[in-house]
Amino acid sequence: MTGNIQRVAIAGGGITAWSAAAALKRKLPMLDVLVVSSPPPPDALADRIANTLPSIGEFHADLGLSEEDTIIRAQSGIRLGTHFSGWSEGLPDYVHAYGSYGASVPGIPFHQLWLREGHSQPYDSYSLAAELGRSERFATADTADAQLGYGLRLTVDRYCELMRAYALHLGATERPGDVADVEVREDGFVAAMILVDGGRVEADLFVDCTGPAARLRSRLDGDRESWAQWLLCDRVRVAGSQPDHAQSLLDEVSAEPNGWSSACATVFSSSHETTGEIAAVPLRQGRLAEPWIRNCVGIGDAAVAVEPLEWTNLHLVHSQIDRLVSMMPGADCAPVELAEYNRQCNAEADRVRDFIVMHYVTARPTTPFWKDVASIELPASLEHSLSLFADRGRLPYYEEETFTRDSWLAVLFGQGFLPRRVDPLAYALPADEVARTLSACRDSVTAFTGSQPSYRDFISAMGQRAPL
Amino acid sequence: MEEHKLNVVVVGGGTAGWMAAAALSKLLPTRCAVTLVESEAIGIVGVGEATLPHIRGFNERLGIDEAEFMAATRATFKLGIEFRDWARKGDSYLHPFGAFGRGHGQVDFHHYWSRLREAGAPVAELGEYSMAVTMAYANRFALPDPDPAMIGSTFNYAYQFDATLFAPFLRKVAEGLGAQRIEGRIVDVELDGETGNVTAIKLESGDRVEGDLFIDCSGFVSLIIGKALGEAFEDWSQWLPCDRAVAMPCRTETALTPYTSATAMNAGWRWRIPLQHRTGNGYVYSSEFISDEDARAAIVAAVEGEPIAEPRVLKFKAGRRTRSWVRNCVAVGLSSGFLEPLESTSIYLIQAAVGALVELFPERNISPVDRDEFNRLIDMEYDRIRDFLILHYHATERSDSPFWDYVRTMSVPETLQEKIDLFRRRGRLVKYREGVFLDASWIAVYTGQRIVPEGHDRRADLPPVDALAREAEALRREIRAIAERMPDHRAHIELYCPMAQAA
Repeated sequence: MTGNIQRVAIAGGGITAWSAAAALKRKLPMLDVLVVSSPPPPDALADRIANTLPSIGEFHADLGLSEEDTIIRAQSGIRLGTHFSGWSEGLPDYVHAYGSYGASVPGIPFHQLWLREGHSQPYDSYSLAAELGRSERFATADTADAQLGYGLRLTVDRYCELMRAYALHLGATERPGDVADVEVREDGFVAAMILVDGGRVEADLFVDCTGPAARLRSRLDGDRESWAQWLLCDRVRVAGSQPDHAQSLLDEVSAEPNGWSSACATVFSSSHETTGEIAAVPLRQGRLAEPWIRNCVGIGDAAVAVEPLEWTNLHLVHSQIDRLVSMMPGADCAPVELAEYNRQCNAEADRVRDFIVMHYVTARPTTPFWKDVASIELPASLEHSLSLFADRGRLPYYEEETFTRDSWLAVLFGQGFLPRRVDPLAYALPADEVARTLSACRDSVTAFTGSQPSYRDFISAMGQRAPL
Repeated sequence: MEEHKLNVVVVGGGTAGWMAAAALSKLLPTRCAVTLVESEAIGIVGVGEATLPHIRGFNERLGIDEAEFMAATRATFKLGIEFRDWARKGDSYLHPFGAFGRGHGQVDFHHYWSRLREAGAPVAELGEYSMAVTMAYANRFALPDPDPAMIGSTFNYAYQFDATLFAPFLRKVAEGLGAQRIEGRIVDVELDGETGNVTAIKLESGDRVEGDLFIDCSGFVSLIIGKALGEAFEDWSQWLPCDRAVAMPCRTETALTPYTSATAMNAGWRWRIPLQHRTGNGYVYSSEFISDEDARAAIVAAVEGEPIAEPRVLKFKAGRRTRSWVRNCVAVGLSSGFLEPLESTSIYLIQAAVGALVELFPERNISPVDRDEFNRLIDMEYDRIRDFLILHYHATERSDSPFWDYVRTMSVPETLQEKIDLFRRRGRLVKYREGVFLDASWIAVYTGQRIVPEGHDRRADLPPVDALAREAEALRREIRAIAERMPDHRAHIELYCPMAQAA
């Protein structure tokens, strides 16, 4: 067994790089962490997309960052979910809200009761987060507890600055510089990165947070798994100006003739969009075959490039950083250790891909783009999920799944994708009891929502506790 | 849209048959009418006298009262399994149902333990930092503390019970829920000429029992899925060469241990399972490496109390059916496969199959989607248990008999080799959430069988060594003090669920 990793060099200057630096210094303070910083490129989505998932709260708590810091001082908004409009012609809009849907009945999945009752009310009317979001009210996590999850809508520059300041405070160091070249040893390990200004940075471990170009990691190998056959969109435009952080608790995502759009990003297929007037950057969806080889690991867009539908970009970053910390190998970066890291990261990325592909293949707009989308051949794991679901409303469990069963159901039901039959378990309760359970659940969602403060009041109360 | 009930015919009335009948009757009362066919002339194997904690979930779902069930099956509590002589003669460790250390926090306790060892700091055996291990060796038992912050909450428990009494107990439950029982020996299985589905079973009496769905709980003979439907059997004996067991119960004369023991022998291993009224003993062996006579002599010599039956030999083969659900037949228990009882998985595998069937209960026209998903889930259970069992044999330094030479040097499935290499390197576990044996179980067996990590999680380097050593010692003392305040295992049973109550 060789020695420990001591020096870590991180290339990149966006949220990804600074989050990695902060987490490494916080969790493994014995490391020397140097960030070789440069502004993130326009196609680095994890560094640029404002919307995030509830997992960001766990990442902050784990790092010792308070909500006063991450919400008030960083001027973030709170988001309870995504409002999808136009994804299913002939059906109302729906909300994919975070947290649990329905009431818990022992032995019977709630959605089977909803199906049995005949789904007379929209599925999202059984979600506390969706109801709060629609009424612009907010509950604190401890009152609504497990029923409610919320992500943040970042003011990207401020948030990046917060993370940078925190990382530096924890002892990370910064050296501005752009990667010009990579010096590779005979055994294939990276010896140093050579900077445009002539500088040379040595380290035991190189963390590549430079965006899709993966300016370090790509020098070792370029083996990539493309998702282009499943995700037809290949252009993205990220909104330049930051939205009002407290505009709304829900983000609207509209289906467009050749993709989708929202306040913070627009995504489309360049082979279908012929007007060519939208300024956008290329998006090559897919992932590295092995995010980590030898002493170089790609984090964020350097490892996985995925469209921001469902806002998974920064979530994947956090998850990869958590793994980097908890699976830190020895200085020899033994293949057996990296293999488990790569297995977990890849399984996670592939299920995120499945979740996003699912939005497209179950949607029902009618333009040529959407017709092409409908005719794709599914990845095997998604085929398995959807065929089991189509038959009996069951979703198989996959390891490293990002989205809960509630999330899958919110989108599937929201888009009108219903199973052929109701599960026999749902018949364990008599029909009138099923109806009572459902209406009691809606009543409690409505009643709880009505008793909560408005979102603006909530934010201003928090702001008074946390002067800027 | 309501459907008519399916006629479910359960073939065989052992543990598997009555667990299936009781669960289906309880959980899907509007969807199935259950008929169980069994013959009093055919004995039951009664495997799995020792169970895993999952059985508690099964009983709870069926509304079974714990004390009543324990009294009726003459059960004792089980905190884990003690392994003796596995890596080397003279070694012993306990695989506990529960965590090492406090069981929470971001870094698993065994990383701190590894660090202390590497630093040469005073540190006890890993088991001394486990609530379950400490209780087990002290012969103590009390229910887990409901407050998850307390160290007294960090263990789980199962039962050791008389399997020949569990089936009759469940029969009462199932019949109370409306399951019908037919006495009779099955002489033939009728298949539909076109679809190949099972249409009926014929009894010796000449009666036919028709059904929509057949649950094959016929045990090793595998009457429907094996004999009638001819589903292939995947043979795993290259990795798990034991193919016989000789069982011999005796009176419980030694202490009533809240754990099962598995002692390595020259050509296999020997179980010891203490129940309230007797102790189960048996020698699981490979007939390639020892004769039946010698195995019999070995178990007779090893039994610690007055024998209450003659030694009885069972034959089996490790492996499983390629598919457990074929056409309209679902195999549950020994008809679907066999894994030796080294980690008490027999009843767990029944439970997993029954649970999956309840979750994937079909329509009359069975959808291949249901069947395929069932088979995927069951295969995963079998495959993961297989790897875990192989680990016990392979992680050894023993070279004192041809049997141990074979298992020590055999090549193991790649899935297992990766797990071993990863742990040896830095104490890391291959992470998955599904499957029966999770991190603490693997850690117990690795470290108990001398696969000691060469390194540890870097985060375990943060506290100073002496502070860490002090904390570990305080934890060890706290665990010991709590265990010592608990009642003696036998005293607890006599208060809670004595078998005399089971009139």
